[in-house]
Amino acid sequence: MALSKILNASVTDSTLTTTKLATPNLGRRNIIINGDMQIAQRSTSETGLGASAGYFTLDRYVMYNGGDASAGRYTMSQSTVTDLEGFSNALKIDCTTADTSIAAGEGLLLQQAIEGFNVQQLKATSTTTKAFTLSFYAKSNASRAIVTEVRTSNGTNRQACKLHTIGTSWARHTFTVSAASSMQIDNDNSSEVQINFWLHAGSTYSSGTLSATFAASNNANRAAGAGSIFASTDNTLEITGVQLEVGSQATPFEHRSYGEELALCQRYFTVLADGNRSTSEAICQGTYYTANILFHTVVLPVQMRSKPSMITANGTNYYITFANGSGDHHDAIARSGNSSKSVVEITAETNVAGTGGHACFTRIGGTSADAKCMLDAEL
Amino acid sequence: MYKLYKDLITNEVNQVIKINGNQKTYIPFDSENSDYQEYLKWVADGNKVEEAD
Repeated sequence: MALSKILNASVTDSTLTTTKLATPNLGRRNIIINGDMQIAQRSTSETGLGASAGYFTLDRYVMYNGGDASAGRYTMSQSTVTDLEGFSNALKIDCTTADTSIAAGEGLLLQQAIEGFNVQQLKATSTTTKAFTLSFYAKSNASRAIVTEVRTSNGTNRQACKLHTIGTSWARHTFTVSAASSMQIDNDNSSEVQINFWLHAGSTYSSGTLSATFAASNNANRAAGAGSIFASTDNTLEITGVQLEVGSQATPFEHRSYGEELALCQRYFTVLADGNRSTSEAICQGTYYTANILFHTVVLPVQMRSKPSMITANGTNYYITFANGSGDHHDAIARSGNSSKSVVEITAETNVAGTGGHACFTRIGGTSADAKCMLDAEL
Repeated sequence: MYKLYKDLITNEVNQVIKINGNQKTYIPFDSENSDYQEYLKWVADGNKVEEAD
């Protein structure tokens, strides 16, 4: 609207409704991290998945199985989006091995777990929650039924679920969960709210009835009506634009900058070095504590949720440390137990041969893409 | 498999390693860490961790 219009126009009281005022286009609405699927620090594609749970590709999204193992397998990837305005990436699940014999305890669900610190705005009081809305864009190779589930744990165990029919073109789907009483959401760094997308479910999880309002936890009522992504190797599902916000309406997706989104993800997972990106990638700087022991200190870009685990790989000459004009290949790096949420100490002792007291810097050793140094504080 | 790990300076056991082939995950003794929670569950299920070198 032109400025003159704002200066000269008036709005009658009757045109201002609660609904209109309740949907301000303000920032920091979206509680979901990496909702637009831009960040994939671990990998952009992993194949042959399905035997176990884990974080495989896109940051903050974990795949879980049910209690029984499915023979179904899938590829999980960060796909390129060309036909949805405002989005460049999606999370794609592509069935590669079908499983049409579904045991009762089988399940496959895509989840983002949210720590308590980040969902306090859902609370109306210490024992009640406001209405809030989950929204997402999705498309599939064919019409597909999936169930979204909002689950609370730790404080009060509740679940609310909705069935969605995904079509072959991008469409936005929404799920509003009404205000609820007798709810407790702890203000801490544990997993308090989980957003689940059910893609496959045996009778253990689907034999009951969905409740769109918060109800007591009951496995049978979690995924009633959900189809199976494992029904055919033709099956695919793409999801993006995931948003969770206070209020009973889905507002436009809140786009954050790549840097902001990456920083939010790094609270849970940080890649210091990855041989898949470069086999000579820098890791850290430090000192030869003795001739055969290295200590390095890394100040992390973001304080992590918990003291992180360190994921690495070892092998002949996987790493190299430079000091006093020469390189010292060695086979492994390790995490020091004195590391904190903000600072990680990285040590090495296997085949280390230098001079105590020399300053040094360490890289991936130029020999293997398998070498890595990654920090994990996921929920 | 899991193996306990000693600090290089103090020689105290202060973390545990999850070993899968040549991949190692160094896990702090931190109740907030989900890998450590998984390790504790593994121990509670009756499994035995390998002693540190």
